[in-house]
Amino acid sequence: MTKGKLRDLSFFLSPMVLMVFLFYLVPLVMTIYISMTRMRNWNVERYLTEFVGLYNYERLFYMFQHDPTFKAVIMTTLVFVGITLVINVFGGLALALATFFINERPASSYRLLWLLPRMSPIAVYSLVWYYFFHGSEIGTLNSILMSLGFISQPIPWGQVTPWGAWSVIIFVNGLVGVSFGMIVFTSALNQIPKELVIAARVDGASSWQISRRILIPMIKWHLLYVLTWQFLSLLTTYPHLFLLVQWDLVNRDYGTTLALYVFNTAFGRGEQDQGLAAAAAVILSIIGILGGFVTLKVLKFERMMKKPRGDF
Amino acid sequence: MRAAALWLVALVIFGVVASGCIGGEEAKTSQAEVQLTGDFTKDVVEIGKVLEQNGVKEVKFSAWGSGDPNSVMRVYGIVEAARRINKIWADNGINVKIVVTETHYVASFQDAYKEYLSKQPLGQAGDFFVNSYAFLPTLADEGYILDITDYAKAYQSVIDDFYPSLIEASKYNGKLYGLPQDTEARPLYIRKDVAQKIGFDLNGLDEKVKNGEFTWSDVYYWAKKAKDEGAAEWGLIHRKGSAHPDLIQFIFAFGGKLYDPNTGKLVVDVPAVYKWLYVEWKFARDGLLPGDIMSWDWAKQIHPTVVEGRTLFDIGGTWYWTEWQTKQYYAKEGTPRGLKPEEVRDWFCYTLFPAGEKGKEPVTLSQPFVWMINSKAGQLNPKYDELKDIYHKLAFLMLIKASDPDINAIHSVISAHLPVRKDAAKLIKDEKWLNGLKALNLDLSDEVKSNIGDIVQATVNPINAQFLADVSYMLEYTHLAPAHPKYPALADIFKEAVDKVLRGEMTPEEAVKYIVQKVQADPELAQNVEIQGEIPKDWKFPQG
Repeated sequence: MTKGKLRDLSFFLSPMVLMVFLFYLVPLVMTIYISMTRMRNWNVERYLTEFVGLYNYERLFYMFQHDPTFKAVIMTTLVFVGITLVINVFGGLALALATFFINERPASSYRLLWLLPRMSPIAVYSLVWYYFFHGSEIGTLNSILMSLGFISQPIPWGQVTPWGAWSVIIFVNGLVGVSFGMIVFTSALNQIPKELVIAARVDGASSWQISRRILIPMIKWHLLYVLTWQFLSLLTTYPHLFLLVQWDLVNRDYGTTLALYVFNTAFGRGEQDQGLAAAAAVILSIIGILGGFVTLKVLKFERMMKKPRGDF
Repeated sequence: MRAAALWLVALVIFGVVASGCIGGEEAKTSQAEVQLTGDFTKDVVEIGKVLEQNGVKEVKFSAWGSGDPNSVMRVYGIVEAARRINKIWADNGINVKIVVTETHYVASFQDAYKEYLSKQPLGQAGDFFVNSYAFLPTLADEGYILDITDYAKAYQSVIDDFYPSLIEASKYNGKLYGLPQDTEARPLYIRKDVAQKIGFDLNGLDEKVKNGEFTWSDVYYWAKKAKDEGAAEWGLIHRKGSAHPDLIQFIFAFGGKLYDPNTGKLVVDVPAVYKWLYVEWKFARDGLLPGDIMSWDWAKQIHPTVVEGRTLFDIGGTWYWTEWQTKQYYAKEGTPRGLKPEEVRDWFCYTLFPAGEKGKEPVTLSQPFVWMINSKAGQLNPKYDELKDIYHKLAFLMLIKASDPDINAIHSVISAHLPVRKDAAKLIKDEKWLNGLKALNLDLSDEVKSNIGDIVQATVNPINAQFLADVSYMLEYTHLAPAHPKYPALADIFKEAVDKVLRGEMTPEEAVKYIVQKVQADPELAQNVEIQGEIPKDWKFPQG
């Protein structure tokens, strides 16, 4: 590489490199360091230098093995991330395709409707679903079903373990996440030359055939991007879960993912154990890095990154 | 050369003069030591003089508090204390003033604690912090609050006026870290109208409960009768959320303990915990207590069920008494409204929390709130490093003033908490004083009056004062949950176990094993908790 090229690259890449360093590498190193201290109750002055080696990891693994409810946390993480990911990616794709084939004006309004959950403040949005799924007759869903005569007793939706709790958290988070895929896919679909679709229509192709044969293959990389992004995002998300569990709408064991476990350990009531939480966060990061890497490898992400032919 | 020598001499002279000045400053700082004498006015004046000499004209403090809407005196007590000290300074010609810059008041005391914990190390937490004594050990252990043991020695007469158990609750490792602000009892409320329908004679019940003749087996009997005869939808309603502090009363009522003072460890008293969980399980299985009560909504379910008479019994707190009057829980006639004082008096009977079984004693439980001082109190004020001790002593004197009997009594009357001082307890029985409060014709600042005006109108009346007088005796039966840094984690596990037995997910035996497993799964918790006793084999509930 020539000196000039190196200089140009440094100039253009430096802001990003600095950002990655400041907002990713430094916190990561700090988290790893804190996980090896006895840090608790935010007492930085007292505990930051109290190095305990792998004590927090040992304690965490001991708790994993012996805590009767920890299995629920692991299962919940797997089910929550897996199913919500499918809903977010394929739901987003379905919405984008559905709005692709209708007029722009109603399509925009329809898309806006799906964006509402993301635009609402988390507490307000969660409160809506708190009252909707409430396990007594004050719950909207229960009162509707009871007035229609489908059920005679209210159903404690979020407390039916495990699937009741899982369904509620997946539903609430799925509705928030689905709009992200929808926006990315809509934007990608709008880049596809209209001639292709018109030509296929002229040849008598149905909307389903157009979607399957033309549109989806052409937004393959966007699908990959949304899939990876949403996977990492779901692995670390917790605000809605936190509120739903806090308000006792969903069962605590089957409403707590590893990310929420980290949050509760670091910031929860009672003793706040940042050292232990950091150890759990490091494990969560390792899972995220491995998961992201596997996703990209399996779907051959590097093929998208290779140089386009012909232009250089 | 000569010029250089002259400069050198000038520099030396300047150095000597400057060092003299600095020396003078040092002398001034040493004068900044003020010894507290116990004479409040004298101490305040001395501190005022030192501040004035150091050019400080304004001392800024902030007060953080939390709790139900009627308990705002937890922060306005500090505001009023500042006004009273300012008056002393003004009367003595001292040109210094305390300004309370922030009265931060939130509903959830746990959230307030979390906020304090994260902001104190950054120097952004309130100078005064009122919260449950349960958090005091952790805050003291981390060095986040001020040790006031030495300051308090000068004010022993004031300290002696507090109820001793409450002063004990404000200590950690033998040192005093705060002054009690309020306390309460947790009565068993009984609906008189429901009781009448099933022939449950409430006359003399208080005495029977006190003597341990009326136990939880009797509660079960009458709850079942009320349900079976259709007099009420439920037999018993209790609080949700953390098992601390309301439900752990069962452990004490069954003669159990939560703390071993000899080892300094928490205790899981297996027989008592088992009996507690069995009672919950039995009530829920027989449909007398909602199995999902731990996820009931406070405003839409728990309180309305109680105030509308849809249950015979309710485990609550003394503060319910005024809360039912100021919040619109009653919607039986259509539009929700608060209860009238006469209605609360006519509809509810209250007793101690009955003994778990024959041979045991009735109990109640208090969770005193404590006024604590930030260990960095006053740090935003001028010359903090030099005058730190002065600011801390001033903060302590503000607590002494905020504990004035009238301030404490106002808080008690308007929020139905029990007074923490004997002098305050006398005051709430004084009709003349109550009339003065009702008319807000007391020596209070306008800011305080405007902030408590509505609450005073709704709550100050002879019925509420009588209620407080009636329940005061309960403090003789009170228990305190252990002040141990690991206690909140244990209480959390109890709550999970209660929820599981209520829902029928676990039998009481399984739930006890669950608690033990959870405790042992965390090595740090396991080190701090002793598991004592076995599940009793032939224990029956209800007993004949």
